Amino acid sequence: MSFLGTRAAVRSYGPTPALRGVTVDVAEGEILAVTGPSGCGKSTLLHCLAGIMRVDAGEVFYRGRRIDTSSEGERARLRRTEFGVLFQFGQLVAELTAAENVALPLLLAGARRREARTAALAWLDRLGVADLADQHPGEMSGGQQQRCALARALVTEPRVLFADEPTGALDTLAGEQVLGHLVRLAREQRTTVVLVTHDARVAGYADREVTLRDGVLDPTGLGIAAVRR
Amino acid sequence: MLLRLALAGSRTDTVRVVLTGLSAALATLAILAALTVLAIPTVLDGGSNVSPQYRNPLIAEAGLRVGVAATLVLLTIPVLVLAGQCARLGAPARDRRLAAYRMAGAGPRQAVAIAATEAALASGLGALAGLGLHLVGRQLLGTPGADGKLALPTDVLPPVWQLAVVVAGVPVLAGLIAMLLLRRVVLTPYGVVRRVRTRPPRPWAGLLILGGLGTAALLPPLAQYLDRSGRSMPYELFGLVVLVAELAVTLGVIVGTGWISHVTGRLLHRFARRPAGLLAARRLTADPWTGSRTLAALLAAVLFGAFAAGLRIRMSTEFAAEAEYARRSAEVSGLPYEPWDTTFYQGAYDLVYLALTIALVIAAGGLLVALAESIVSRRRAMAALVATGVPRAVLGRALAWQTLTPAVAGIVLAAGTGITLQRGLYDREVSSGWGTVCREASPTDCVELPAVVRTVPLPLDDLAGFVGVALAVVLSLLLVNLLLLRTSTAVEELRAT
Amino acid sequence: MSTPHVLLGLLATGPKHGYDLKRDYDLRLPKAKPLPYGQVYATLGRLERDGLVARAGQEREAGPDRTPYAVTPPGEAALDSWLGAVEPPLPHLNSVLLAKVIITLLVADLSRARDYLSRQRQAHTDRLRELTAVKTDPTASVADVIAADYGINHLDADLRWLRTTLDRVADLHGEVTAR
Repeated sequence: MSFLGTRAAVRSYGPTPALRGVTVDVAEGEILAVTGPSGCGKSTLLHCLAGIMRVDAGEVFYRGRRIDTSSEGERARLRRTEFGVLFQFGQLVAELTAAENVALPLLLAGARRREARTAALAWLDRLGVADLADQHPGEMSGGQQQRCALARALVTEPRVLFADEPTGALDTLAGEQVLGHLVRLAREQRTTVVLVTHDARVAGYADREVTLRDGVLDPTGLGIAAVRR
Repeated sequence: MLLRLALAGSRTDTVRVVLTGLSAALATLAILAALTVLAIPTVLDGGSNVSPQYRNPLIAEAGLRVGVAATLVLLTIPVLVLAGQCARLGAPARDRRLAAYRMAGAGPRQAVAIAATEAALASGLGALAGLGLHLVGRQLLGTPGADGKLALPTDVLPPVWQLAVVVAGVPVLAGLIAMLLLRRVVLTPYGVVRRVRTRPPRPWAGLLILGGLGTAALLPPLAQYLDRSGRSMPYELFGLVVLVAELAVTLGVIVGTGWISHVTGRLLHRFARRPAGLLAARRLTADPWTGSRTLAALLAAVLFGAFAAGLRIRMSTEFAAEAEYARRSAEVSGLPYEPWDTTFYQGAYDLVYLALTIALVIAAGGLLVALAESIVSRRRAMAALVATGVPRAVLGRALAWQTLTPAVAGIVLAAGTGITLQRGLYDREVSSGWGTVCREASPTDCVELPAVVRTVPLPLDDLAGFVGVALAVVLSLLLVNLLLLRTSTAVEELRAT
Repeated sequence: MSTPHVLLGLLATGPKHGYDLKRDYDLRLPKAKPLPYGQVYATLGRLERDGLVARAGQEREAGPDRTPYAVTPPGEAALDSWLGAVEPPLPHLNSVLLAKVIITLLVADLSRARDYLSRQRQAHTDRLRELTAVKTDPTASVADVIAADYGINHLDADLRWLRTTLDRVADLHGEVTAR
């Protein structure tokens, strides 16, 4: 059994199937890209792997333990301590400053305000946005917001980082900066990364790539639509 | 063109239009009723100022009519505030729609004008409906009862110009309120409001409250002065001053709640150790007006409740003093003591209390909508927080802090201001009687019986009642919203757009 | 690529002999198709014949490979007009990839074409990852990043074309074999 993965994971939204039996393995320290056209189930796979969502059938495991059967509280603890999550946009709390947003996970873990702020500032500095510490998300550009969000995802030094189209809302150069930081920091910390994207250029940052199509893994990477006829 | 655009919209928009119309109709009815009561010609009936055609002494006695009219007009304030709140109902969807107009080339002013037109139009229809109801009700209730007396002043109608002013004024007012509320809405094509730091509230609220209370405090000395020079205070002046003072303090309390929100937010931010406190603190300082805006109608109702409670306990004390005097004089004269029946007057206040309770319930509706809206508008960020492992309990506690802080502060402030205003306007001492009472048996044996003087106590029970009901309303709404929070933070909210 | 104009441009920064010119070329255009010495000298010879470059003095222990060349005024004019001219965008659709798909469908069957496309996609993806690694290397120069970007974006375009072609390949097969 590998570090993180699924066995025949199935998940539907009402009558619409999103995952139809996906088996995927992620090695420790690896950067894995999950690609595929929109609606192929890649975000759902990420949510299931991160314990944000339960699978309807199949298994999800992490470090030798099944997480699909553990309670919401247990999975929330796991997400808080072992995982970091980065979404496309809109994850920062609008009313909090950049530093407070980044410090939030540490405060949740019981850190003191002062310590949490110091750590948050250090992370903002590593991402080149230290000067934005006291700004609110609404006052930043999309790229700056994503870098703050990345700092928040990494501040607890998680073992796994889940990134769902992290550059989907950014222009090419801003996206490149975010991805550059993400890959560099992941390598430095030996963080495992699951990177969901529809863009081959983003997937190029990964060590390995798996492609989903219509809720199943597509070994050719080209899509089963071709086999259809 | 504006009209066509203003009428286009979704189901939420329909609900908002209907609610706006309804509250406008209610406000119109209340104002018309007040005007009607004021329009009753005063018949000098042997100096007793009683219009004999009415069964209800509250209306029959000219001296009481001003009070009735004032109460009716004051009741329109929470209703109007609710009408204003309705303009915010379904705001995110409407903002997107307005943004689409902007994308199509409408300027920001035009977009706001469209929204204001919608509110004005809806309340125009509401005002007309209110007028219609009033006129129909007049006819239906206009038949004298078995005793040949009228239950309500259905035989008089305010002058036509007054009717016109009301029917035209209510929609104009509603449109202005809508414009005021939309002033800060920044429109983008995606309906995303980019928050920038708002200026911290200035302590205007204190000035308004103090101004209102000060105006009220001027009245008793003025009345005394007029008394000494042998004149009496005109009812119109008294009513006007009461109205102005009430409006000032109500506005002050509403604005003051924003200020309190901001200050408590700052304090909480300084001292909060846990994330829930931090989140709530930042939300309170980021937009202190949300709390006061949503609570506006509720606070107005509590304020008037406290005012009414003050009046009521004053009246009860007066009755008690009179009863005491009557008892003493009966003792002296040897005539049997007959207690006075005051149930009618108590009943009048029960009616006022009922009206205020209804106002509280109406306010609760607005509050529910506004709270739900605040959750829905930030559901994405909250779902993201839950995804990163923030326990929902933390978000719930933040919501509780954020709701209860302004609510508790505002309710206590409203109750305190209301009772202070009442006790400023009226003497805190009542006296009854004062005269010579002669024994029934020997009419020459007369005794000087001093007046019974009583101090009006604070109506602590009634105040606690209003504060308690208001808090219970807020708490139950908070519970509903905590349930809503669960569904709003479902992971489905995160699905890529 | 127009090698004479590129060499003119490199010489415009100062006189150089063939060896320096070749080194400069490799430095400025990293990961371009390698330019052999022979071609450098042949090109210089042609430029000299046309009067666009001239020998700038003779070095003492002169062999032919130690002769520095400099740009002449007509050479400067030629370079200037080249830099100002707009390149025709994609004048001929003559990619090997495109030709191969058509020919495969002509001489073989659908599954062969699909197999080829699938392997081609894998190769493209690998190359794209390689170039991304070049780009994210902390020691990469701006020239490296720009060159890698050029490749990445073209590979991305090819990959998207490959994916769409897969969906059309059956229709294409019918069309190709019908003629």
